[in-house]
Amino acid sequence: MSCHIAHEQAAAASRPLTLRSRPLRVALVGQPNVGKSVVFGRLTGRYVTVSNYPGTTVAVTQGRVLVGAEVCDVIDTPGVNTLEGTVSEDERITRDVLETDRADLVVQVADARNLRRALMLTGQIATFGKPTILALNMVDEAFARGIVVDAPALEAELGIPVIEMVAVEGRGMAELRDALARAAVPHVPTAARAGATARAEWAHALTTRVRHVSTISLARIQETLAWATRTPLTGLPILAVVLYALYLFVGVFGAQTLVKLLEDGVFGRGINPASTWLVDRVIPIPIVHDFLVGEYGLVTMGVTYSIAIVLPVVATFFLMFGFLEDSGYIPRLAIFCDRIFRTMGLNGKAVLPMVLGLGCDTMATMTTRILGTPKERLIAILLLALGIPCSAQLATILGILGGISFAALATLFGVVIGQMILVGWLAARVLKGERSEFILELPPIRWPRIGNLLTKTRLRVWWYLGEAVPLFLIGTVLLFVLDRVGALVWLSAAGRPIVTGLLGLPPATAQILVMGFLRRDYGAAGLFQLAHSGQLTGVQAVVALTVMTLFVPCVANFLMMVRERGLRTGLAIIGVITPIAIFTGAGLNYVLRSLGVHF
Amino acid sequence: MDVGAQGVVVDIVPGDNVENVESGEGRSPSADRLLSLGVTPGARVTMLQRFPGIVFLCDQTELAVERGVANAVLVRPWENPS
Ligand SMILES: Nc1nc2c(ncn2[C@@H]2O[C@H](COP(=O)(O)OP(=O)(O)O)[C@@H](O)[C@H]2O)c(=O)[nH]1
Repeated sequence: MSCHIAHEQAAAASRPLTLRSRPLRVALVGQPNVGKSVVFGRLTGRYVTVSNYPGTTVAVTQGRVLVGAEVCDVIDTPGVNTLEGTVSEDERITRDVLETDRADLVVQVADARNLRRALMLTGQIATFGKPTILALNMVDEAFARGIVVDAPALEAELGIPVIEMVAVEGRGMAELRDALARAAVPHVPTAARAGATARAEWAHALTTRVRHVSTISLARIQETLAWATRTPLTGLPILAVVLYALYLFVGVFGAQTLVKLLEDGVFGRGINPASTWLVDRVIPIPIVHDFLVGEYGLVTMGVTYSIAIVLPVVATFFLMFGFLEDSGYIPRLAIFCDRIFRTMGLNGKAVLPMVLGLGCDTMATMTTRILGTPKERLIAILLLALGIPCSAQLATILGILGGISFAALATLFGVVIGQMILVGWLAARVLKGERSEFILELPPIRWPRIGNLLTKTRLRVWWYLGEAVPLFLIGTVLLFVLDRVGALVWLSAAGRPIVTGLLGLPPATAQILVMGFLRRDYGAAGLFQLAHSGQLTGVQAVVALTVMTLFVPCVANFLMMVRERGLRTGLAIIGVITPIAIFTGAGLNYVLRSLGVHF
Repeated sequence: MDVGAQGVVVDIVPGDNVENVESGEGRSPSADRLLSLGVTPGARVTMLQRFPGIVFLCDQTELAVERGVANAVLVRPWENPS
């Protein structure tokens, strides 16, 4: 009976398609990291975030193409391992696409090395009764490992087109387009539909019939690297090297060389004097002058901060992050972090959002969705807001403290990490809910593709600028207004008991801390200038930066927290973090002063 | 299982919330997840490392898991046919 339906649908799919009143909807479905995004890009000529770890294609991307005479809407869905039972957020999105008429036809993209797993998914896709094509991708990597799949035999068994592909080189794309008309509902025996175990047995047996593994080639450079990055003896030194490279590239090259070039050169000598001159020429009204090019001027402060100080740091960080991400390195870090994260009610998986948080906490807050349980997500969001400095802050920290001493840096990181562990430990005990067990698939180590890396970095930087620059400008306008109506003086005065008394900082930092809420990096940049002009002592710098790091996240991050977890939780997180930041700062100030530390 | 040892998955021990042991599904979230990642009865596994975390190879998939999860996978030694 199911066979009958299958044939009918197969016929429907190959009918002359001009009769259709709307484009044919083609959904790309597959396990994470099998090359779906690359296939999508090749099919549609559009770009989706391609990366080497799960959880990057969070939303559904769509593109329209002409295949032969047929207009197709191609949908890229988030990677899925299963479509049944308790599914993750990603998996639900994909299931929705399959359940509704958002897909007329399914192209299952699969990793040719992992045929067994692919077939387990095919078995589930079949239950949706849609015409399907199996695209066996990465046959190059499979071949290198001595794995050969007998595609015609598999085609005969499943009754659907099976296309062998190397998507990154475009091999098999033409065959895939041609096969659209031949798509059919996969033939899965009724016995295999009984449940996961039955399906697994079917997939196993079928794999044994059509797959041939010749020699297991072990000594490839990728395998050696994969081994080296997860073994402590080599893994920890590699981690140290990676961190040092990150410091050199982002902290030194980005935050110092490029910032200096842009701030002093392009803006200091070029844009700012030029716009001042222009404003004075064209609109010689004092208030306009101040608004645009004054102390809190839109150009001299807003644009300069965002472009000259923040952009280089963010761009270099995202480039480096993209490299680590695409190479498959980051998930391997999870092995080392699993234990420590478990004391905080998380597991090793949390390393992904935490590392991304070093770039932008807002973006990282969004990716906490990859974590298993609501409790884990909440703890991760809290810790991101509390202790993970974003790239601009990190740059300020490295820029200011790096110039003072290593001890200053170590103090700050020690205090912040200590606080995170303490707060995480408490949160894990206080909050209700469960921790999920640590199970993580490690992607193979690959050499990232430069083109992909650049596109991805460009998209992320654009995203960041779209989020940050408007807030920077609004922040500047707000500062300007506050300054005009005298509120800035008042705010600084109100904050003075805490800032100068408790924390022992110069009065001007009050305003910087307040503005830091608007954008963390904005506050960071302000602190940077304060330190540059020599207004901070070593101890003051350490205390100010510690408070700034622990302090409330920026507005964008707060809004993202509210979006992900609701207003009440967002406010609660701020309510927890603010006192922690202030009391830690006060305690640190007290201890450092009574010990007579000078750095 | 020692590092380097190979085996065949026999079963995945149910977690605390046993509901549907017969079909092998719904045993525990971890068991379901392992199944969906290809750790199914009959699959070949190789232990890659035990410290600082357990990593094993199942078919062509490298999986990092915590001890509790690894302990739930029942394995019988795999004899080399040659
Ligand atoms: N060697 C090889 N690598 C591929 C192939 N297709 C994709 N990749 C790489 O596999 C990784 C994952 O691809 P992606 O499209 O992000 O997978 P997705 O998660 O399924 O969307 C990327 O680094 C690609 O460059 C292929 O045919 N051969």
